[in-house]
Amino acid sequence: MTGPDQPSAGQDRLPVAGGRRTWAWLRRRLGAQWTGVTWAALVGVLGAAASVVPAYALGTLVDRVREHAPASALVAIAAVIVVAAVAGGVATGAGTYLIGRVCGHVLADLRERTVARALSLPVTTLERVGKGDLLARVSTDVASIGKAATSVVPSLISAFLLVVLSLAAMAGLDWRLGLAGAVAIPLYVAALRWYLPRSAPKYAGERRAVGDNARLLAESMQGVRTVHAYRLEQRRLHDIHQASHQVRDIAVSVFTLFTRFVGRVNRAEFFGLAAILVAGFLLVRDGSVTVGQSAAAAVLFHRLFNPIGMLLFTFDEVQAAGASLARLVGVIDLAPAAAPADGGDPGEPADTSIRLSGVHFRYDGGPEVLHGVSIDVAAGARVALVGSTGAGKSTLAAIAAGILRPGGGTVRVGGVALPPDRLRARVAIVTQEIHVFAGPLIEDLRLARPGASREEVRSALAVVGALEWAKALPDGLDTVVGEGGHELTTVQAQQLALARLVLVNPPIAVLDEATAEAGSLGARTLEEAAAAATRGRTTLIVAHRLTQAATADRVVVLEHGRIVEEGTHQDLLAAGGRYVELWRAWEAHTPTSSSRQAPQRANLVRTPESSKS
Amino acid sequence: MTGRRIMTRAVARNRRRLSAGIGLTSLHQVCESLVPILIGVIVDQAIGPGDAGALVVWLAALAALFTALTLAYRFGARQLMLAIADEAHLLRAEVAAKIMHPRGIRTDRRAGDLLTVATTDTDNTSYLLDYVPRIAGAVTATAVSAVALLVIDVRLGLAVLAGTPLVLLALQVAAPVITRRVTEQQNLAGEATSLAADLVGGVRPLRGIGAEHAAAARYDEVSRRSLRAALRAARTQGWYLSASTAGGALLAGGVAILAGWFALNGRITVGELITVIGLAQFLMEPVGLLTLMPSRLAEARASACRVGAVLDAPALLPEGAETLDGTRPELELRALRYGTLDGVDLRVRPGEFVGVVAHRPADGEALVTILSGRVAPEEYEGEVLLGGALLPRLDPADARRTMLVEPHLTDLFTGTIEENVTAGGPLDAQALAASAADQVVRAHPGGLAHVVAERGAGLSGGQRQRLALARALTARPPILVMRDPTTAVDAMTEHEIARGLRALRHPGPGAFTTVIVTSSPSLLALTDRVVVLDGGRVAAEGTHAELAVTDDDYNRMVLR
Repeated sequence: MTGPDQPSAGQDRLPVAGGRRTWAWLRRRLGAQWTGVTWAALVGVLGAAASVVPAYALGTLVDRVREHAPASALVAIAAVIVVAAVAGGVATGAGTYLIGRVCGHVLADLRERTVARALSLPVTTLERVGKGDLLARVSTDVASIGKAATSVVPSLISAFLLVVLSLAAMAGLDWRLGLAGAVAIPLYVAALRWYLPRSAPKYAGERRAVGDNARLLAESMQGVRTVHAYRLEQRRLHDIHQASHQVRDIAVSVFTLFTRFVGRVNRAEFFGLAAILVAGFLLVRDGSVTVGQSAAAAVLFHRLFNPIGMLLFTFDEVQAAGASLARLVGVIDLAPAAAPADGGDPGEPADTSIRLSGVHFRYDGGPEVLHGVSIDVAAGARVALVGSTGAGKSTLAAIAAGILRPGGGTVRVGGVALPPDRLRARVAIVTQEIHVFAGPLIEDLRLARPGASREEVRSALAVVGALEWAKALPDGLDTVVGEGGHELTTVQAQQLALARLVLVNPPIAVLDEATAEAGSLGARTLEEAAAAATRGRTTLIVAHRLTQAATADRVVVLEHGRIVEEGTHQDLLAAGGRYVELWRAWEAHTPTSSSRQAPQRANLVRTPESSKS
Repeated sequence: MTGRRIMTRAVARNRRRLSAGIGLTSLHQVCESLVPILIGVIVDQAIGPGDAGALVVWLAALAALFTALTLAYRFGARQLMLAIADEAHLLRAEVAAKIMHPRGIRTDRRAGDLLTVATTDTDNTSYLLDYVPRIAGAVTATAVSAVALLVIDVRLGLAVLAGTPLVLLALQVAAPVITRRVTEQQNLAGEATSLAADLVGGVRPLRGIGAEHAAAARYDEVSRRSLRAALRAARTQGWYLSASTAGGALLAGGVAILAGWFALNGRITVGELITVIGLAQFLMEPVGLLTLMPSRLAEARASACRVGAVLDAPALLPEGAETLDGTRPELELRALRYGTLDGVDLRVRPGEFVGVVAHRPADGEALVTILSGRVAPEEYEGEVLLGGALLPRLDPADARRTMLVEPHLTDLFTGTIEENVTAGGPLDAQALAASAADQVVRAHPGGLAHVVAERGAGLSGGQRQRLALARALTARPPILVMRDPTTAVDAMTEHEIARGLRALRHPGPGAFTTVIVTSSPSLLALTDRVVVLDGGRVAAEGTHAELAVTDDDYNRMVLR
């Protein structure tokens, strides 16, 4: 089937927001949380400050010892240490929680906006970029930010505050001690700048290798029947072995790079520590600081090894989260499928007829696929659209349903050209794309009518002939279906799609189902279900099976984007045109087999009469 | 193999790298614990007395210490990484080979589960080689610190050695609560993620019925639940962090106060005071690591058990040593009972083109499953004979070479179209044309070199079916078995395929045998003989033309 469902090679991608735009978005979201942000900052600083105090106290203690002060001098110091420990502990925990809370709210807001926008993107955009990129953004990117926001960012901010306050504390002892400690900063930065550009491509390579390996394993295991049938075991294992070895090599090389990074970090630690000790030595010698103060500075710096390590080693995770954020903001910024700003209210449709006049259409940059097609479906009538693959049937159906907007021509409901959102409120389309939404069966159907009662859902299922099997599922209507749940057959999934249509209860229905995959038995079941689901509605049906055309009020034959024939089934059979060719192929009346299948016709004639409404 | 054996084997086969890694990691930890000691010494010996010579000497010592520290880490960690990566690689290869073994694997696990074993569990098991040296390093660091503390002052040493584990163990009480909250949070985050993926996956059907707002509202609800869980987890973690920060600070502070008391009384020097404080702070690390290790080890062990269970699982099929010599074997089923089949007798002569029509789809499926030769002999009754030999006695590879069963649910593999269709034999233009796969080739600019994405995504159902059919025809097996091979192609193409199949495999009385389970009149019309299955047995037999005239039930089944 060509048209809407065919992903093409060399697709465009969804946009990614620039750095400035991403920051602006983040600032606005943080601004919306400003009380939370303020509290988090205050408490976080308090916690970091309290963590610095004991080192100060230690410096004083060293000096008291050197002064041979009496043991009572310890009381005040002990009190400070105990109070700082308790206050620092509480503030650190509370601060981390408060930061986490801000992150959580921003994250929830981010993912909700992204998903809402993803679901309302114009279909033409979806076609251009394919679903893959969008799926990756709403799942992988959201998960990556989520992980960073809940586990990395809060402790990272705490660590950052601790580093800043410790350096401030050192400078508070003596500005030259602070300066000595700051010697390490350019070295740390240099280490990071050495590491990041080298590690980023390696990490990307590692992810690719891990992905390739997992894909090979998954394909081989899920396709093990085919592997066995074609005796591909050795070939597949050889590929897996190679991919797995690749994972091993890249993992080792990534890690080797990391150990060299750690070496540079160790070097920065040493120079920072040595600088403080030398500065302390000189300052003590000229009497501007005490031995205790220089000891305190050294201890403060030693205690920073872990938080700084954490800042550096999680830097790439934060960077990755930032990149994910830019991708999500890119989605949020996309324009929704908005109504065009046209002049005034077009008015209320007079009835439920639908008329397409002179419709032209081309997919982005492609050749025109519809060349001025006009179709008129009277209120309550049933028109079938037939034609060979690629004739433009599915495109025309999508235009009638307001999913695609025609490049030229109009769609009128009850004589009125409605804006897209109002058109879509009156027309529902069931397409070839089958999707069973994961979760309880009843919730799948409630997407069509939120808050539908159990009874309403049951009667919708009954209309399409699905109630019997639905009740027989392990947990009835509450059975978990879709991905990871009870597997439904193609026919059952299509029946669900039709039941959703019944629940939506639109005056106009467009059907473009793929009944072929269901096999002939299933296709008959579906034909009956479709007839029941559209009873009383104005219906445009893309007839993939020609029996559906035989039961329609009128048949429109489309070829290469133009209408070539139009009329009732009987008229067209009598006319001896394109429809007859299609009908012959359908009936399997080829020259070699026509003589063998005489009884079939009798069977067919019965169907149109019995299912006419 | 039990988990324990997998673990001991991992240690044994990496013992050289592991012991080098343990040695160097322990050395690294010793160096780390010497840093605070050296800070104390420098303050005591150089800064206090203002001795420049001592400063130079001790700074040189500090430089040497950092050099040793960083080199020990670099080379130790690399040895361990090599061991871990090698072990994971070996385990992955072993598990994959086991799962794909021609004789199959007897297990209750589903494909997704096995995939987890082959990826996550093999990784987790290999991490054992990380945990062992970490434990060794932590024990060493603890021991060095303890000795240093005890040398400075026995009472101080004992206080630190008793207090540190006590504080850390007390904090461990909270571990289960945190684990529960975090698990809950992760589950809900995962639920939100899969809901988003599911809704976006079905975005077109949703838009078709204008349900995108209802879908977004549903997502918001789960997102809010996930947020609440995240906040609950953050609160719990906040409390824990408060307790652990305060506990750690109180412990270190207590030691500092006690050491200060001793220093004020002149029992220890200023340098010793600084060393004690530094060590008390440093000790939190290795001891903290040791308290975490049991749960990590348990995780590795659980993974190793799953890996072991897969590697130990018996084969599904018997060894089967017999091979087939004839190139035109006969296929025969005698009183076969399997699944819904209830005593099927069927004989397919060499060169025959047989259609099978199953009133119940399950019968057709069971028949094809049995013929695929992937069912353990004790799971069915009756006999399946291939070339006169019982199927279980045949070498599985030989049986599959003779009788190819193309699975109905098409599995394509990532690679070019050509790589996919030539899985069973060299490229064959006739087979491509007969299966109408040449149209699929032409539909892609890259032609045969067009890359098929994972599991054939990007191809329509009909295109996938035609490629699978081309693959089956290209293999030119003596016996070919298929079920519903043309359900996703249009009527016109189905006709072409039926004719192509007939012309390629049955141009006249020939070498090839074909069995197709189908209800397609196009295909059935070109078979030599049609067998109808009903109620698990053969209900009727004849040519398509005969059955079409005489059998009403048959007509209902196969006609449109």
